[in-house]
Amino acid sequence: MRKNLPKFFFNFVCFLVYVFLLAPIVVVLLSSLTTTEYIVFPPKGLTLRWYTELIEHPEFMQSFTLSIIVAFGTAAISTAIGTLASIAVVRRQFKGKTAIVQLVGSPLLIPSVVFGVALLQFYSWIGLAASPLALILGHIILTVPFVMRLVVASLVGFDRSIEQAALNLGAGPIKVFYQITLPIIKSGVIAGAIFAFITSFDDLTVALFIVSTDVVTLPVRIYTYMQYQYDPIITSVSSIMILFTVILMLVIERILGVGKVFSSKN
Amino acid sequence: MSYLSLENVVKTFNKTEVVKKLSLEIQKGELVSFLGPSGCGKTTTLNMVAGFLEVDGGKIEVDGKPVHLLPPNKREMGMVFQNYALFPHMTVFENVAYGLKLRKVPKNEINTRVLEALEMVRLSGYEKRYPKELSGGQQQRVSLARALVIKPKVLLLDEPLSNLDAKLRQEMREEIVDIQKQVGITTIFVTHDQEEALAISDRIAVMYEGRIEQVDDPATIYNHPKTDFVSQFIGEVNHIQGKVVETYDNKKCKMHFFGNEQIVSIPSAKNSEVHFFIRPEKIQISLGVSNERNEAFQTKVERKMFLGAKTRYILRIQDKHLVADISNTVLNPSQIKEGNSVYTYWNPEDLLPSRMVR
Repeated sequence: MRKNLPKFFFNFVCFLVYVFLLAPIVVVLLSSLTTTEYIVFPPKGLTLRWYTELIEHPEFMQSFTLSIIVAFGTAAISTAIGTLASIAVVRRQFKGKTAIVQLVGSPLLIPSVVFGVALLQFYSWIGLAASPLALILGHIILTVPFVMRLVVASLVGFDRSIEQAALNLGAGPIKVFYQITLPIIKSGVIAGAIFAFITSFDDLTVALFIVSTDVVTLPVRIYTYMQYQYDPIITSVSSIMILFTVILMLVIERILGVGKVFSSKN
Repeated sequence: MSYLSLENVVKTFNKTEVVKKLSLEIQKGELVSFLGPSGCGKTTTLNMVAGFLEVDGGKIEVDGKPVHLLPPNKREMGMVFQNYALFPHMTVFENVAYGLKLRKVPKNEINTRVLEALEMVRLSGYEKRYPKELSGGQQQRVSLARALVIKPKVLLLDEPLSNLDAKLRQEMREEIVDIQKQVGITTIFVTHDQEEALAISDRIAVMYEGRIEQVDDPATIYNHPKTDFVSQFIGEVNHIQGKVVETYDNKKCKMHFFGNEQIVSIPSAKNSEVHFFIRPEKIQISLGVSNERNEAFQTKVERKMFLGAKTRYILRIQDKHLVADISNTVLNPSQIKEGNSVYTYWNPEDLLPSRMVR
């Protein structure tokens, strides 16, 4: 009995941490079901009215589509760039390497508001208008450091004689990369892609500076809507966002196993 | 006509030559070991043969055709790595089949050849396992099967046994030689373990500081080392020095060691100091003196170490130590105690002349 006490205490603390982390999500999900005209928790009555009412607000759907396009574009490009950059950084010695690594990693340190202002200035200077492309470019800068962190971690301790073995068996350098190197660092690359996707998908601060009236991402749409109205539509949109993320994670889990993806080694 | 030839091969890293004009001819089907301490250039040389490093001078030929300018994937060589280097995301079958798939071998032929190769390394039934589910020895066998299944022109083994434990290492080296002889493949075996090299090689190339010091069969390397490095690196040696007191017709001379005289067949000038090596197992000791042992001198047993089949005696004479290894069937170690005085002698033919000046 005595021996179990520390274990019980440990489990209790873990339970509290999970409650703290998951409670906001539960609050949002439940309050989207309220019958009242305002957001309240616990919800009063149960209805799906706020979900059906979304149909009268096509702008949410447009923003949702835009956010997904931007997030996919960002994830694809920054994973490609980040993976290749990681290989260069881990395996090659070149002049100014430390400087480049620090520069690429700097968006992690700069407050995103500052970064947003800088992007706004820069885009108006080069004459780039608000567009999905402009958003993707900004988000790439923001997400490459995440991808690099994860891919570099999976490359450190990579035994290069495995690649030599493939070369020795007759594979050219490109085959070695696609058939040997990439499958082995797969977990880091996929984790990087997921991080990039999620970072882009919920970015508000940077997007706020880049969006225009026709190009509005979902977080920005929710934020601006909330400034004027505070009805449960917000919570239903948020719930859909949460559900979408959960489904995405489940799909990846089914295909690859998220446990595998987020553990450091195979 | 040699099958694999290295001619004046040079490798330079940061302006230092790590392989210095190395030349070597290897016959078809021969197993040649590169033996030397770390940093002697043996692995660098192997990597140049495999094509992972470019040669900075000289050439490498296989079957009369130059290969040193080809990339590694065009050299048709099979390599086995120290840390096995299996593809962790592929099963044993896929690992072995990889080289055949690249060669576009038809599927059913791949199947039979992979199964044959796995049978050869005694791993039938392990096709569906992943490398991490195998022991070190099994992984190295897969690696060997993977290298041999493509029927390479040359087999390169880069310290393949050094990650295995002592007993397995011995078994594996016998297995490797059996397979190598059975396939009849020209092989380079890199190792820093002299016992391993002596046990398995047709010839050993002893390397030191980027050069080959001597290439010979194991017995010649051990019994007739050509350089001081080879004498000292292969097996153990005692270093002794003596003075020439008399010379006979330029072929023999009478030497003075530790107050004793011995006739040795090397030409040497009178009164010169001469250095020799003698191996521990060539030194004999006894408690009493017999006639044939009139060249014996007395030493004191300082330490005695029981090593199983033999016993090692550390003998002291004047201010020098001699190490003698004596088989326990020849001399019962319980007869001799630390602190005893013993008669010590050797056959003059067992002295290895040294060029060393100390």
